Amino acid sequence: MGLSLTVNGDHLTSTADPITPLVDVLREEFHLTGAKPVCREGFCGACMVLIDGNPTPSCLMPAALAEGCDIRTVEGLAVNGGLNPIQAALEACDAVQCGMCFPGMVVSLTHLLTTRPGATRDDIRAALTGNICRCTGYERIIEAALLALATT
Amino acid sequence: MDTPASRSVYVAPSLTSALDALDEGGAAAAPFAGGTWIMRAPIRHELLKPRYVAIGSIPELHGIKIDADAVEIGAAVTHATLAAALAELSEFNVLTAAAGRSANPAIRGMATIGGNLATTAFAAADCVPALLCLDAEVEIASRGSRERIDLEQFLTMRSTLAPGWLVQRIIVPRQERKTAHARLPLRQAGDYPTAIVSLAVSLDDVGRVQTARVAVGSVEPVARRWERLEDALVGHPLNAAKAAHAAAGLADEFTGRDSTDVPAWYRVRVLPGLVRRAAAALGS
Repeated sequence: MGLSLTVNGDHLTSTADPITPLVDVLREEFHLTGAKPVCREGFCGACMVLIDGNPTPSCLMPAALAEGCDIRTVEGLAVNGGLNPIQAALEACDAVQCGMCFPGMVVSLTHLLTTRPGATRDDIRAALTGNICRCTGYERIIEAALLALATT
Repeated sequence: MDTPASRSVYVAPSLTSALDALDEGGAAAAPFAGGTWIMRAPIRHELLKPRYVAIGSIPELHGIKIDADAVEIGAAVTHATLAAALAELSEFNVLTAAAGRSANPAIRGMATIGGNLATTAFAAADCVPALLCLDAEVEIASRGSRERIDLEQFLTMRSTLAPGWLVQRIIVPRQERKTAHARLPLRQAGDYPTAIVSLAVSLDDVGRVQTARVAVGSVEPVARRWERLEDALVGHPLNAAKAAHAAAGLADEFTGRDSTDVPAWYRVRVLPGLVRRAAAALGS
């Protein structure tokens, strides 16, 4: 029996083994390649998606346990085809370098902006504890988050 | 990818159904709580079980009951939920810190307290030493059976527990005590701790230590109490420098575990400093 998953509002089915990490189903069956399987240990955050609104490393989530949940990947965060506030701020602050970590960064920061509109610099740093970037040194990312918080 | 066609995940709606499924599955089945350890089995070159019984949706395992005498914590309570629930109870500072600072925010929202205790091979679990210093007990259940045992005893038997059992809840007695949790990750946050010291003390009217519990995690394969240091603290005013000095004299009882990221000797060497930090956090 296949798995029934709701991804970015679309109802999709998968024939994957139920314990298959969700990130593999997203990328290999649904061709949603924003989430990256990098460490596969929940450390790096490159595979972060929103499960029922909560940032979740999709490398540690069996596809079977995502059934019945609202799964939102970076591909589903844009608003009416445009960039959402954090995406726009990251672009404005020239915060993106190689891009490997950025889908996960966008997911975590979208959640932060949604749930904690009064977040401070320290709150942003804490929220990004599980998102590792090896290019930027983080400061531009944090500045972009502060800009997005100030303008939304 | 290791994906035998016979593998299954059963999402148990109740504790009874979970215990039935585990019993019927025998050695081929295992509980699946947050999954943050099990899902990394391929990285450890371990085989996944043919059958998992997902217990994360079971209402009976999600409760946190705070009474005058004890706090009861359901096994499927996540670290994030636990830290939030205990944040205003200073006697549980050690457990709030353990649950609230481990790993990273997303993992804290997935990983459960029961999984933290039941994962035999995870030496760096923060909540284990924290619960040891709080004299916690563990209730385990199987189809038709319940047992309540000291956490220390559970740690010695968990690797040989028969199939069909799971951790149902953790019971922590309430006492007038001051507690602190000191850990040393290699990065400031989001990393496994190299070593952990959890401390709980009660003081008499003139500030001398009446009772002490010191538990050490991540240094050896299994967390344990540091009873010789506890004895050294009792009867004296709690003083961070003196506690660290005593720890330095007693640290040779530990045999650190070696790993690619941290040599064995280093885990032991940092213990006195962690004892100092834990004692200082209590205002000494």
